[in-house]
Amino acid sequence: MTDVLARRTLRQMALPEAIEAVHTELDGLWEDASFVPDMDRMTFATAVIEAASNVVQHAVPESTMPVEIGVDISVTPVRLEARVSAFGAASPDPIDTDPAMPDGEAESGRGLALIRALVTTVTFKRQDGTNTWILSKSPLHD
Amino acid sequence: MDLSYEVKDSYAEITAAGRLNMVSAPKLRELVAEVVAAGTSRIVINLEETAFMDSSGLGALIGCLKAARQAGGDLRIARVQPQVQMVLGLTSMDKVLTSYSSAAEAFGDD
Repeated sequence: MTDVLARRTLRQMALPEAIEAVHTELDGLWEDASFVPDMDRMTFATAVIEAASNVVQHAVPESTMPVEIGVDISVTPVRLEARVSAFGAASPDPIDTDPAMPDGEAESGRGLALIRALVTTVTFKRQDGTNTWILSKSPLHD
Repeated sequence: MDLSYEVKDSYAEITAAGRLNMVSAPKLRELVAEVVAAGTSRIVINLEETAFMDSSGLGALIGCLKAARQAGGDLRIARVQPQVQMVLGLTSMDKVLTSYSSAAEAFGDD
């Protein structure tokens, strides 16, 4: 078990307001982990917001209960990790986890390609009615 | 995000302060539609105080660019900050949305 030096979590209804809450948690995380270089903060935060926005925009409830979003972000000396979950979401259609970047005219469809470009690993899993994106970035820049 | 605009001699300058994300992107689209409908299709978006933009925000900029061009004008961006520049670069949209060093310079060549 690697030392977790800073960690932030949230869980709330998957509504647009949740995105601002994720920004707030990221800002707090960087305060607690001031050693993380600016470039890593910028790339990782962008990827986390993209994943959270994906949940808010696309997660479909599995039952009559609304979808909740969960975000769990941790910092170790060598790694940034975020687990972005859609609780109570239906199983999504098959996901192409390595899509091409859309061309210049497209107004959507860049989120996942952008996440791939920003972090080291992207994995998706579905377990117990929860869809989770796991993003990691390592090693940290000097 | 706080959005405001000012109509200058040959263009309108929109100032976008805050985060351009899925929450604020529709508001930017609405404002640009309003400016175009009011008769100004040459638009500069001043991004000096836009610290963050995601793909929803980028999609809004592209939609606004199309709206301005359909009305016979153009949309340009100015004072782009590092995170926004990073997103433009990774998506190759820096070739479509050129960044100018100031709003005045954005339409300075024509």
